[in-house]
Amino acid sequence: MRYLFTNTRSHRRWQKALLGLAGLFLLVIFWAARGFSQTTSTEKPVPILSGTAGFLSDKTAGQTLLDTQFNPVLLVPLGERWLVESRGEFEGEFQRPPGGGSFSGPVNKHLDYLQADYIANPYVTVTVGRFLTPFGIFNERLYPMWIRALQPDPLILPIATASSDGTMLRGGFPVGARANLNYAAYVSVTSIGIDGVESERHVGGRAGFFFPGPRLEVGASWQKVLQDDRKNAVGFHMAWQPQALPLSMHSEFVRSNQGSGYWIEGAYRLSQVHFWEKPMRRTELVARGQQFFSGNITPDAADSLGLPGVNTREADFGVNYFLKDGLKVLGSYGRQLSSAGNFNQWTVGIAYRFLIPLGRGGNQ
Amino acid sequence: MKRVPVLVLALVLALTAFARSSNKKEAAAVSPVVHATDADTMRTQGEQRFRANCGRCHAAPQKFPPRAMATVLRHMRVRATITDEDMRLVLFYMTQ
Repeated sequence: MRYLFTNTRSHRRWQKALLGLAGLFLLVIFWAARGFSQTTSTEKPVPILSGTAGFLSDKTAGQTLLDTQFNPVLLVPLGERWLVESRGEFEGEFQRPPGGGSFSGPVNKHLDYLQADYIANPYVTVTVGRFLTPFGIFNERLYPMWIRALQPDPLILPIATASSDGTMLRGGFPVGARANLNYAAYVSVTSIGIDGVESERHVGGRAGFFFPGPRLEVGASWQKVLQDDRKNAVGFHMAWQPQALPLSMHSEFVRSNQGSGYWIEGAYRLSQVHFWEKPMRRTELVARGQQFFSGNITPDAADSLGLPGVNTREADFGVNYFLKDGLKVLGSYGRQLSSAGNFNQWTVGIAYRFLIPLGRGGNQ
Repeated sequence: MKRVPVLVLALVLALTAFARSSNKKEAAAVSPVVHATDADTMRTQGEQRFRANCGRCHAAPQKFPPRAMATVLRHMRVRATITDEDMRLVLFYMTQ
């Protein structure tokens, strides 16, 4: 591992910060937990292996990419308040070489998160380890293949979503009868540059209000990078599922020195259509519009982050058909417009979510 | 940057104080729902909470074995920052 503390002063400052946070955790664990009994259920949780397996055939600007993904998630509950969880990513991306030939390409491995969660009380959960950075909603909640409505990533996804290695406080609780507040505050204390375990030093937070009545969530995120250019990023997100329609809306906006942009997506389940009712109930139509505005970094730097090098607009349309619980086939078409060139993107594939209880009593 | 641990500490203290001070209120306000003997009421509430919370991100999954479901709900409590009360009702709905 390569730790990139920039200088001794910075190192000392972080030692102080870490000491403060260590004290904070002790406080949370020994004080906040008093009087809180976890009476969640008589069901004793068991370890489970879950995750997603999927295959996509993607044709972008005439170039075909075969993408095979396997994302195992391991959940190990310990006692009444602990959970150790981890997700890995194994992704094979295969293309024909220029001039023809058989498909070949790299198989990438990545540790998305490996974290220990301690549920201190109904309002605070303490997380330590490597975790998904809670900036916006896509990275944490919508990323898995079986959840996302469209397989191509939003253009702004790489902004402020590098993995975090450190600690986080988070939770959700009612504030009045009509709203819940959820929050996350985190510090990532290492900068790791080896393949598969990249992270950066940053600090940030996210807060959102969820209104169960209209099923509307709105929130904001902030992050400050503590290395290199030490810039800030801010974001806003929205999720809405109206009661009257089988419609699911999501949107994010982000502004940073790396670029700014937004995406808005709607997924409509055809369960209200009164012909071919069974197949219609299993069918979902999706549309997404998005725009990206270049930031104050070079096109090469943007490319290395996975961002477009120039201002870009994109529209995507797709259909998902749920064969059974956790198994869907999908297809989508997107058109990207920019000064670097316009092109089409076609995607077809299949995604499967599995869940296997582990150990004795797992099927009880 | 020096302010960050202080701010985080203040946040936790405020939340913890809120948690402890509202224990009695919560018991009074929530108990009729959470500890209701009417299983149908709890199931209905659980379904509503399920659709409101889980439906924000994904379609309804099938019901898994209760002990596996308890693990899934603990995971989702952290991942989706759903409230303690919502988690209990959804767990009841998904395991009964």
